Amino acid sequence: MPKAVRQLAGHLLRGLVMVWIVTTFTFVLVHEMPGNPVQAQYESLIEKGFSPDAASRQVAVTYGFVPHGSLWSQYGHYLSRLLHFDLGKSVSAQGVSVAKEVASAAKWTIGLVLAGVVLSFALGVVLGVVAAMRRNSRLGDGLSIAGSLLHGVPQYVMALVLVTLLTVKWPLFSTGDVNGLIQPGFNVAYIASIISHAVLPATAFALSSFGGYLLTMKSSVVSVLGDDFILAAELRGLSPGLVFRYISRNAILPLFTVLALSFGFMFGGAVFIESAFNYPGMGALLVSSIGQRDYSEMSGAFLLITVAVILANIVADLLYTVVDPRVRRASGT
Amino acid sequence: MTMTAGSGDPLVTAAVVGGGPSVQIRDLTVAYRIAGRDMAAVAGIDLELPPGSITGLVGESGSGKSTLALALLGAVQKPGRITTGSIEIDGVGDVVTLAPKAVRKARGAQIGYVFQAAQNSLNPLKTVGRQLLDLAKSHDVDDKQSLVRQAKSLLERMGLDAGRMLDAYQHELSGGMRQRVGIMFALVLNAHLLVLDEPTTALDMISQANILSIIRDVSTDRALTTLVVTHDIGVVAEVSERIAVMYGGRLVEQGPTTQVLRDPKHPYTRGLIRAIPRLHGDPALAQALPGRPPTLGTTPETGCVFRERCDVFARLQLPACVETDPRPTPIDGDRLVSCHAVASEHQQADREARA
Ligand SMILES: Nc1ncnc2c1ncn2[C@@H]1O[C@H](COP(=O)(O)OP(=O)(O)O)[C@@H](O)[C@H]1O
Ligand SMILES: [Mg+2]
Repeated sequence: MPKAVRQLAGHLLRGLVMVWIVTTFTFVLVHEMPGNPVQAQYESLIEKGFSPDAASRQVAVTYGFVPHGSLWSQYGHYLSRLLHFDLGKSVSAQGVSVAKEVASAAKWTIGLVLAGVVLSFALGVVLGVVAAMRRNSRLGDGLSIAGSLLHGVPQYVMALVLVTLLTVKWPLFSTGDVNGLIQPGFNVAYIASIISHAVLPATAFALSSFGGYLLTMKSSVVSVLGDDFILAAELRGLSPGLVFRYISRNAILPLFTVLALSFGFMFGGAVFIESAFNYPGMGALLVSSIGQRDYSEMSGAFLLITVAVILANIVADLLYTVVDPRVRRASGT
Repeated sequence: MTMTAGSGDPLVTAAVVGGGPSVQIRDLTVAYRIAGRDMAAVAGIDLELPPGSITGLVGESGSGKSTLALALLGAVQKPGRITTGSIEIDGVGDVVTLAPKAVRKARGAQIGYVFQAAQNSLNPLKTVGRQLLDLAKSHDVDDKQSLVRQAKSLLERMGLDAGRMLDAYQHELSGGMRQRVGIMFALVLNAHLLVLDEPTTALDMISQANILSIIRDVSTDRALTTLVVTHDIGVVAEVSERIAVMYGGRLVEQGPTTQVLRDPKHPYTRGLIRAIPRLHGDPALAQALPGRPPTLGTTPETGCVFRERCDVFARLQLPACVETDPRPTPIDGDRLVSCHAVASEHQQADREARA
C-alpha cells in the first residue's frame, strides 16, 4: 500500500512542522519573556561568583541555549539540544531534568485522557443512538437538550462543580496527592491509585465532552436512517438486529473526526481539570511551572502536550482509514 | 354484466399452469398523513398480476407507483399507511393483515424487491458477500454454501465475474453492476414475485438495454411474476406483457401491452404515447403532454383526476367528469379503462351493435 505509506508520511511531516512551530514559539516566548529569565539566571549566577563561562554553561543546561551570542546561534543551539531529547533542567526542582519530569507527568495524563475519551465516547454514542431512535419522544428531546447544555459547560467549571460537590460537600473522594511512593508503571498499585484518583477528573472530562458525541451521533444516525440502503436492507427482509448494526456502524464514522479533535480538547482541558483535582499530570505540571516561572519546565510540558495532540490526531485519522473501506480501498489501488 | 374483466377464469387456470404466485390487489388505498389529514397517494386500486407474467406499471413521477410497489411488501413509509383494501399474494397471504414478522420474512424470501435507488442499495461498509451472509442469517438459511453458489450462478447468468462481485464493496461497482447485484439479492432466496422500481432510471443507454434483457430472461427462466415500475413507457413497451397506467393515485388503463400501445383508449395513455417518438414512429409529431401531474394536495376530490389536462374533457365538458370518479370499464375482453367518455362511447357502440 504505497499510498497509505505516503499518507502516513504526510501526516508525520505535517506533525513535525507543527512541533517545529511550537518549539520556535516557546523559544521566542522564553527569550522575549519580560524580565528575560535566561539573562536573569545568568546575572544571578555571576553575582553568586560564577565565572561568566561557568554561568553560561549552567544557563545552557537549564534552558537549552546559551544566554548570549546572536539570536540565530542561540536558536540553533536550542534546536540541536531538542533533537537529543534534552529539554533542559528544571529550575524549581534543581537538578532534575525536565524530560524526566514531563515524562512521568505524561504517564498520569495519558491514562486520564484515554479514560475520559473512552468514557465520553461510549456514553455519547449510546445515548446518541437512543436520542435518534426516540427523537419524537420526550426521552429523545431530553437527551438532546442535556447533551447540548453539558456540551456548553466549560471543563474547568465542570471540574469545580464536581470538586465542590463530591469532595467538600459530600466527601466521597479525596483530592490528596497521589502517593508519591508508587512507581508509575504497569503494576497493580499504580493502576489502582490512578483509578481512585482518576475517577473524578475522568468524570469531569466525560461529562463535559460526551454531549458533543451525543449530538453528532444523533444527527448522524438520523441521516443514516434516511439512507437508501437501510430501506433496501429492510425490503430484503434483513432482521431488525442486523439493520440496527448497519445503522450504527455507518453512523459512527463521522465521530472519528470529532474524536481526533477531542484529543486536543482533552489535553487542553487537562490543564484546568488536573489542577482542580490536584492530579499529578502534565496539566498540573504546566500550571505549577507557570506559577513558579519555571520556563524550561513550562516549555517542556507545552511541547509534550503538542506532540501528544498531534500523535492522537494521526492515530484517529489512521483509525478512520481502517474502518471505512471507501478510504481504505481507495488508498490500496 | 362483468365487472372485472382482468380477473376472469383464464387467470385462475394460468395460476395452476404457471405455478408461481400471483398477486391480487383489491380496492387498495394508501394515504400519507400530512398536517393531520390523510392524503391518498393510491386510491381504490384493483390490480392483478397474472402468474408468470411481466406487468409494467407506468405513470409520471408522483402518480403513486412507488407507494403501490412498497405496499406490496407491507413497507409503506411513514407517515403513510394502507387505509383500505387487501393485497393477496400467493404463498404469503394478505400482506395488509399479516403479522409484521411474517411480512418481514416474506420480503426477500417470496417477494424480491429491486430498489428504486439500487445505486445505493448496499451497505457501503460491507462487501457484497458479507451482506449475502447477513441475508442468510436473517432468513434462517442453514446451507450458506449453496446460497453462495446460487448467488454466483445468478451473477454469472447476468454476465458478471461472480467471485469479484462477492468481494467488492458498493463503491467499487459501476451502476449497471450495482443494479445486477440488486437483482441477485432479490432472487437469491428464490422469490417468485419480483418487483423492480425504476430499474433503468439511473443507467446509461447500453446498461439500460442490458438490464431490460436480463429482466426478461430471468423472469422467463424462473417463471417469475414480475412488476416493473417506471415512468418510461418505452421500458414497459420493451419488457412487459401487460401494462397498467397510473395517474394521480388511480389506475386509468390496463391491458395487454401490444393492444394498449397500438390502440390506447384513455386520453392520458394517448398523451403518454404521443410524447414518445420512438413508440409512434414520427419524431416530428412527438408532443409533450401539457400541464403537470397533480400532487397529493392538488388532486381533485371529486370527479376524474385527469380532467384538467384532458383534451376530451376540454372538448366535451361531460358533467360526469366533474361529478364522479370514473370506475374501470371492461373493453375488448381483456382491457380496463377508467374514463367516462370512453365508457359512454363504448356503451353506444354496444347498443348500435345490438340494434
Ligand atoms: N414518505 C412520504 N411522505 C409524504 N408523502 C409522500 C411520501 N412518499 C411519497 N409521497 C407522496 O405521494 C405521492 C406519490 O409518490 P410516489 O409513490 O413516490 O410516486 P411515483 O413513484 O409514481 O413517483 C407523491 O405526491 C409524493 O409526494
Ligand atoms: Mg417512484
